[in-house]
Amino acid sequence: MGNLKLALFLAYKSIIKGNRWALVLIILVMALSFANLILTPSILSGVTGTLDEQQVNTLFANIVIDPEEEKYYLDHVGQIENKIEQIPGIVRVSAHLKSNAFIEYQWYEKDSPSDRGKSGTWSVIGIDPSREVNVTMIHEHIIQGSYLHGDDRDEVVLGIEIAGGKGAQSSSFLTLEGVEVGDKVRFTYPNGVQREYRVKGIFHAREMQADRLAFVTRQEMVSVLGRQVFADRASQILVSIEQAGDESWFIEEFEALGINGEIRSWREYGGAVGGIVSSFEVITSLINGIGLIVAAIVMFIVIYINVLNRKRQIGILRAIGIKRNIVITSYLVQALLYAISGIIFGGLIMYFVIEPYFLNYPLDLPVGLVSLSIEPSTVQKAVWGLILAAVFAGFIPVLSIVRQSIIKSIWGN
Amino acid sequence: MIKVKNLQKVYGKGPIATHALKGIDIEVKPGEFVAIMGRSGSGKSTLLHILGLLDMPTGGEIYIENEDVLKLSEGERARFRLEELGYVFQEYSLLGEMTILENVYLPALCLAKKNNYRKRAVEMLETVGLGDRLYHYPSESSGGEQQRAAIARALINSPKILFADEPTASLDAASAKVVLELFRKLNKDSGQTIVMVTHEPEDKKYVDRVIWLKDGLVWEKNQQ
Repeated sequence: MGNLKLALFLAYKSIIKGNRWALVLIILVMALSFANLILTPSILSGVTGTLDEQQVNTLFANIVIDPEEEKYYLDHVGQIENKIEQIPGIVRVSAHLKSNAFIEYQWYEKDSPSDRGKSGTWSVIGIDPSREVNVTMIHEHIIQGSYLHGDDRDEVVLGIEIAGGKGAQSSSFLTLEGVEVGDKVRFTYPNGVQREYRVKGIFHAREMQADRLAFVTRQEMVSVLGRQVFADRASQILVSIEQAGDESWFIEEFEALGINGEIRSWREYGGAVGGIVSSFEVITSLINGIGLIVAAIVMFIVIYINVLNRKRQIGILRAIGIKRNIVITSYLVQALLYAISGIIFGGLIMYFVIEPYFLNYPLDLPVGLVSLSIEPSTVQKAVWGLILAAVFAGFIPVLSIVRQSIIKSIWGN
Repeated sequence: MIKVKNLQKVYGKGPIATHALKGIDIEVKPGEFVAIMGRSGSGKSTLLHILGLLDMPTGGEIYIENEDVLKLSEGERARFRLEELGYVFQEYSLLGEMTILENVYLPALCLAKKNNYRKRAVEMLETVGLGDRLYHYPSESSGGEQQRAAIARALINSPKILFADEPTASLDAASAKVVLELFRKLNKDSGQTIVMVTHEPEDKKYVDRVIWLKDGLVWEKNQQ
């Protein structure tokens, strides 16, 4: 019989006739360690995934076309929209006409012109709602009222962080302090144009930047900025594509079509999120490192106690001619079996308990609803991490015993 | 079969050094049943451990079948122990997680050439009178039965020499008699060379020759 077969036989007998509770306990520890190695990065990955989705769904779509350097606007927007939408794989194109506005609520109740009242300055975006609903998801985050229609002229949709009141995260004085649907708000644009709008809807996209936007129709914005000049202009064009991840290919296509402007993937705008993601990766590595060390130490202690209890038996095995490496291999096999059992059991816990739970009850965090995002690389790292920890934790204790003389192992002197 | 020249074993160093063996010269012939006897601390177990390659001497030479066994590497010594030597220890030395049968065929598993290890183990257990205890665990067996199983294990690979370190010390008189008669039978019937450490004077009647040790030296030869 080969050395490996003999090592397997010794390991098998040791496990089968060993302490059942110790076996159950160590496999449980391994399973929970494995689940933990997957759970933490998957939650953090879920958070970053949610942040990414929010960036795409509320602010940038997949591809953003900005005016060229030293220009404020993109011209011939209609042509650009038509050209882009002819490329297969494009969902829709939406041109944004942006401005700022000083927005006031209950301005008529102010005591004096110097009274700040309920007001603030925010970005206002003019959109074509019929296009926008295929590009961003703001319309799905309406919490009061309804979204814009193409022919709305005196109505506005406000982000929760402008409207204020219940659900807003910003301090009250940074909002309009509780605007409701149906209320009137007054917009004063930089060019001096002043408009009163009825609040048609309030949205809560759970993306702070998006929730600080106000939307009017493109028609309305054009009329504010000047129909003659702005009818076919845009501050930014957002493009949604069918298959996320293909942005680079489309950007090259747009450039080949001769579209003027700075064409970028949404990722290039995710600087702040990118920083958070990097921070999460560091935190994940730290937590995983600690998790692995804990798992390794637990296994080390269990195997060390096991090896100490069997010190005499190891001595006898060596006395009857069983080589050191067979004894070491038998303990490594045991450690690997603990790890593999833990991986299988932990995987079942993840697959049948934890993941379904998170799908049904996602974490309601300030950044949004966060579910688990289990990536194959995370599982691979956890599997190899636990196996390496097991090999280390199995090898060191048994090595320390088989290095002793046979006499010392058997009789302790 | 065994030739020992000027064998020495010193434990510790400097002023606390203990000279367990001070220069032993002995010879064991093939087919002999030899007892090593002496008072506690005379060095008899130390001598047996060194002869059985379980421990290394501080000086001297050991030849087994003309092979200088002290020049073997750790791995070669393990192989030599497995193929050429058998051991019966003082205390019960069976592995608790294995049945009597598994304990006996374990050394044979290591040798790829022994394909019929299971059949042979059964035969060995029948020889020692344990044919009906194959699937019992050591914890389910008496001391005498365990020691007889240990003898079967020691013989499974047909060793040239069987070493026994006070094999009856933990047994009652009846079990001890069974074990010693078994040794005697193996020696007479199969010509098995046996070297046994014992401190029981009445065991002399079972052996061909006694090597007496006193304070780490051979004290008197060819006594019986």
